Amino acid sequence: MRDADEKGAPHPPSSDFGEARAAALLIDMQNVVTEKPEALDGAGKRVIIRTIGMKKVYRKKDQVTQALRGVDVEIYTGEFISVMGPSGSGKSTFFNMIGALDSPSEGRVFIDEVDVAQLTAEELAFLRCRKIGYIFQSYNLIQYMTALENVTTPMAFGGVPDDEARKRGMEILGQVGLRDRWFHRPIEMSGGQQQRVAIARSLANQPAILLCDEPTANLDHHTGQEILDILQKLNKERGVTIICATHDHRMMNVCDRLMWIRDGSIERIARRDEVHVELAGID
Amino acid sequence: MKHIDVQQQPVLSFGRTFKIALRGVQYRLFRALVTVAVIAVAMAFLMNILSESLFKRVVAVAVRDEIRAMRQADHWIARLSVPQTAEEIVAVLAAAEPDSETFREMAVFGGLDETALPSAAALAVKAQAYLKFFDDINYGRRRVLIGNATGVEIFERLQNEAAQTRFFESLTLMRAVRFVTTPDAFREFLRAWPGLSGTLTAVRAGQQRAIGNIQQAQEGRTVMEALSGAEGPFGEAVRQAGFVLDPGEAVSLAKQIRLAEHRHFIEDSINNPEVRKAVAARKDVLPGDVSLDMIWKLLGRPATAAWYEGQLAQHASPPPGLDAARLHEVARTRARSKLMVRAELMTMGTGGGFMNIGPRMTWLAFVSMLVCTVGIANAMLMSVTERFREIATLKCLGALDGFIMTVFLIEAAILGLVGGLAGTLIGLVLGLGRMLAVFQSLLIELFPGGLLLQAAGISIVTGIALAAVAAAYPSMRAARLAPMEAMRIE
Repeated sequence: MRDADEKGAPHPPSSDFGEARAAALLIDMQNVVTEKPEALDGAGKRVIIRTIGMKKVYRKKDQVTQALRGVDVEIYTGEFISVMGPSGSGKSTFFNMIGALDSPSEGRVFIDEVDVAQLTAEELAFLRCRKIGYIFQSYNLIQYMTALENVTTPMAFGGVPDDEARKRGMEILGQVGLRDRWFHRPIEMSGGQQQRVAIARSLANQPAILLCDEPTANLDHHTGQEILDILQKLNKERGVTIICATHDHRMMNVCDRLMWIRDGSIERIARRDEVHVELAGID
Repeated sequence: MKHIDVQQQPVLSFGRTFKIALRGVQYRLFRALVTVAVIAVAMAFLMNILSESLFKRVVAVAVRDEIRAMRQADHWIARLSVPQTAEEIVAVLAAAEPDSETFREMAVFGGLDETALPSAAALAVKAQAYLKFFDDINYGRRRVLIGNATGVEIFERLQNEAAQTRFFESLTLMRAVRFVTTPDAFREFLRAWPGLSGTLTAVRAGQQRAIGNIQQAQEGRTVMEALSGAEGPFGEAVRQAGFVLDPGEAVSLAKQIRLAEHRHFIEDSINNPEVRKAVAARKDVLPGDVSLDMIWKLLGRPATAAWYEGQLAQHASPPPGLDAARLHEVARTRARSKLMVRAELMTMGTGGGFMNIGPRMTWLAFVSMLVCTVGIANAMLMSVTERFREIATLKCLGALDGFIMTVFLIEAAILGLVGGLAGTLIGLVLGLGRMLAVFQSLLIELFPGGLLLQAAGISIVTGIALAAVAAAYPSMRAARLAPMEAMRIE
């Protein structure tokens, strides 16, 4: 990230954005002040995720792919951070690492000061179940379960009794506005509704961290905004740390910080108010 | 400082796991049905051969005694007509239990001391082994070894020193041939042979004399005719002559003979032109087309049997006691004995192997199980592959490896149970149908309910076990799947 900042060059639009959007999205880099993340919010902030020299190498026969080339990052409790970057930039790998879904080839990942590499399979399952909520681009709901069952499944894994799980599940569904659709299966719901069920599911065990992988990519403009509103509300009212991979420029309006990943390393991290976004009349 | 208190993830209860697995099976009903079909076919095959072999076995056991009783008449007619051959006596002696009736009979016929018989029997056992050897080797070799001698003649011929030397020389040259015993043992046997040979001759002579004695008691009747009174004075005469004829056996023997007589009379009645004409008129065929089957069919029903009795009384002279009821009875007994003979043929070569289905069928069943296992494994692998995303999602939600594995094993077991049940039913129905066609009423009489239940149990359990075994690898693969698979954007 530092290299890019020193050059002071504008962030080049990624190929994924498409020509029109790339042209529309002009980021004024001139005013960006680069600072160390620790200095960002002062010493009062608590670090919830910390990576130290995180590298990931995929080996397939003689093919070696450097997905991550040493990432050092700190994410604070209660923060809403957007991760941007073109496809193949290592964004997904980064997500897997900080979501305790994969282990780095080199370096370490701490989630709330706990070294993920030290955890047993059962403890990892516990971590994924209680501490982290996952939201995917393609919702990934269990097709043969109703909305309510989808929400209560992580509670069941966490050992919550059935009755209580149902009660809590209905509450959470109510929070995302789907209380009266609890018996519907994913196939009977629209994309936005499915994503809301997915959000409800990720909240089942009151996680401290929400990992969202392009939560709005498959949704239309309006529905995407609804999802963003929900996420923002969660962040503001409950203090849930949200880490969000996105191509959606609206995300910049709701997040606290922005992070760019390129070629397996962090290109830049900036506070939202440091980034001036000019939109050429799309909205 | 440690903010997150990381604990062990609790293990989901079996009930909840089962519920989730069941929902999965319901959702993928079509694929599940295909897998069930694979299991059902294999289990149907297993149950089919199991049930058929069971039916055959119970029938075989039941038939054995009845067949023996049926052949009793033939056996006694032969015995009372000509003496047994030397080979037959050897076989009887070799098979006889010491101190049995057979031994006593032998002693009486041979005019021998009963205590001398066990050693003769021991020799007869050896003689039979040698005879079997000569029966089994091919003609060319046999010709070289012992010329054209057959049966006990072989032993007579080898009494000759030169023949014996030639025999052993030829035997040494035949490397592929394994002789029953060492040459020395055979030499010793040959030295002892004249003794046994003498016994055999004596027994044969005794039998010949006894047959001569009985002929007087026959009073000009044939052996068969005389035997119809086996429970009376003729049976006594047979016993007097030295044959061992148990009084109980005599009664059933006489019954058999009378039955055979009546049967012969009925079969003869077709040659009576008047009877034939009557039957032809009734059946609306030409007299030349009247067959025995038609007559047996007529006798199969009491009403028509009565009609036939009338015809017989009018045109032939039926023997006493051959009334309508008897005619019907003879027809029924004949049908049954035909069934028996067929049952005996069908049940030949059963036994051995798993649950008595025979080694060949055991092998076939094993191969079919193997094919089934591969089929299930394939179906389960497909099921795992197409559910990568679901599995990974579940793991993201905090599922343990054990849970994933249990889900797949439960799924396989459910499919195994359903497939096993369906297959067992199909196999049973098929086996029952086939065997009913062969054994008819005999099968209903002997229905082996308990054994069938056992076989059904085996089939169903095999179905479940097969499915579980076949699913072991796929479910392990599913469990070990990294949760990041689901994170990958497709």
